[in-house]
Amino acid sequence: MNPEIVPIHRKESLREDGMLFVRTEGILETMVNAPLVIAGLMVIALTIPIQTSFSSTRTLDLTLYSDGSAHITYQLDIDPLEPDFEVNLFGPSVDNFVAVGENGFLLSSEITDDKVTIDTFGSSTITIDYDIHDLISKEGRVWTFSLNSPTDYSLLMPPNSIIVGMDALPSNMDLVNDQTKLELGSGLSEINYIFGTVTPPVTNPPVTNPPITNPDQPTFDASTFALIGIPVAAAAAGAIIAIKKKQTKSSTLQTATVSETKTDSDAIDTETIFNLRPEIREDDKEIIKFISENGGQALESELRKKFLQPRTTMWRAVKRLERQGIIEITKKDLQNLVKLKKELEEEE
Amino acid sequence: MKTIATFGLLILVASMALGGMTSSVYAQDDPEILIKIAKGAEKQIHDQITSDSSDKVKRLFEEGKDHVDALEKALRSDNMESAREHFLSAMKIFKEISRHLAVSDAAPQAETATMSTAVKDPTNDLQRLQKYVNSLKTIAKKHDASIDFSELDELFTDARKQISDHQFELALETLREIKGEIVKINKELREESSKQETQRAKDYAQKYLEQLDRLIEHAKKQGVDAEIIEKLEKARENLSSADNPKEIVKEIRKIMSIKDQFELTKSDRLESRILQVEKTLLRLSQADGVDPKDLEDTRETLASIKRHLSEGEFDTANELLRDLARQLQEIKNSL
Repeated sequence: MNPEIVPIHRKESLREDGMLFVRTEGILETMVNAPLVIAGLMVIALTIPIQTSFSSTRTLDLTLYSDGSAHITYQLDIDPLEPDFEVNLFGPSVDNFVAVGENGFLLSSEITDDKVTIDTFGSSTITIDYDIHDLISKEGRVWTFSLNSPTDYSLLMPPNSIIVGMDALPSNMDLVNDQTKLELGSGLSEINYIFGTVTPPVTNPPVTNPPITNPDQPTFDASTFALIGIPVAAAAAGAIIAIKKKQTKSSTLQTATVSETKTDSDAIDTETIFNLRPEIREDDKEIIKFISENGGQALESELRKKFLQPRTTMWRAVKRLERQGIIEITKKDLQNLVKLKKELEEEE
Repeated sequence: MKTIATFGLLILVASMALGGMTSSVYAQDDPEILIKIAKGAEKQIHDQITSDSSDKVKRLFEEGKDHVDALEKALRSDNMESAREHFLSAMKIFKEISRHLAVSDAAPQAETATMSTAVKDPTNDLQRLQKYVNSLKTIAKKHDASIDFSELDELFTDARKQISDHQFELALETLREIKGEIVKINKELREESSKQETQRAKDYAQKYLEQLDRLIEHAKKQGVDAEIIEKLEKARENLSSADNPKEIVKEIRKIMSIKDQFELTKSDRLESRILQVEKTLLRLSQADGVDPKDLEDTRETLASIKRHLSEGEFDTANELLRDLARQLQEIKNSL
């Protein structure tokens, strides 16, 4: 099957004096059989299109996030005769891996270190998506993205990032939603970037607006009102208490009872709520009952303690009831105070 | 004759060398982007340099600036080679300056990093998970799987709200819940997909068996050793009785190994190519604006290729396959 390759020079016997005689005349014909080489090259040239048609990359797109991770979308043409296909990942720290075949069907896969074996079963194209944490490093303020790509690829830089160094030549650059998108070639490339100082380096910065101060107008923000308002309110309260102290104990008790009853009667009763909102979940009904029994209001922390629910679960339940127009949420001592509404509102 | 052969040899070598080069030659679609990037970096570095910055940094910045100027000049004179060189040099210098500045900023940065760890904004985690869930939704739709994503959607809404309210701890807790939900949904989806995967694996095995039959038939005609044919027939039997995806993969791998061992892979590449061509043909037949007559011609060629392949005429099949690929490309180009 594999005949031994015998070097040509071995066939030539050495001269008596032991010197090796090298012919220069017609050496090309001796060493190379031109028609044979041409035939060989033709075969190679003809097979190149077929060879490259298998497992070639169609597209490779990378999205960089502000926290140093990246998302990869990789589309490959593969041999439809193979039952499975092994793909090299760009690193071992991979999350949220998905591989789909040409019809969009989920393909089974197994990741071992930085390789993944995908059961393709005749698919001629596969698309893989994953998040990776191995491509970006940080030194001080400078982030460095580094990739040895087998193919041309697109790179979407994080929002607010500014490129301060690169050792590759981009073939194109675009702006996509204020983010720089580069088209880069295959091979090793390194891009250094920092985040702009104007806006914080986070994607979709929180919507909460800082207080806007206009130099032309006097500033009367909440804290100013609080500084003036609280002592005034305290003084007023003190005066009222002083006046009230003159009244009899019995009348005080009566007032308190009336006030408490008023709180209860102000809030809509639970039966009415359940009749008007038959879709309320059973666990939400329990929360409403508890609030009602608690005088129509309760702190969210009290609800958590009562129902032994995690913070987010209770937060969701409360938000759900708020959306249904059953309760309202206000702040009390930096805590969420949940109050039953006096009237049911339209659902949001 | 010798001259013709040498000439042919030279042309072939040159064409192969140039053909190989085409992929590595770099096309600069818009040279202006180099100046945009370099200027952006220059401005950023300039903003960072203060009077306290070291002389080395200041000197490096001047060097980088010179390269940016030279880059501009090179672009104006359409000297791309020089432009590329100056771009890379400028960016290399700016990178070095950034590193110097980063080291001098290291102490306050470390403090900021510690502070930011305490109240980490999980926006990126949320975005990644949202992207993943969107993929799962698309797959679920494709599989016609009745998977309820409403709870997950609600959690995403909550997390977004919590992040916008700067309640990062709460948001992180919600993200943990989202991950839990994703695990559940993923399990459901994989169960659903495995049912269809079994069918796809069986269909694939069926096609492979047909191809194997052709190969065995051909091997018999060619007078291949009876022992090899026996091995192939045994492997065929095993594959036809395999009924789960893992087993199918295992059996096909065994057949491939037999083929490799006895150098019977010649037809495999052609078979693969035929499969790809068939898929392209199917896509084109579903596309608008394709002349049905053109497709009819290609189908006839494909049938002829298959005939030649089954008769072991690989070279003819290969040649026809090339013609067919050209025909299909022309149809694609005409769309």
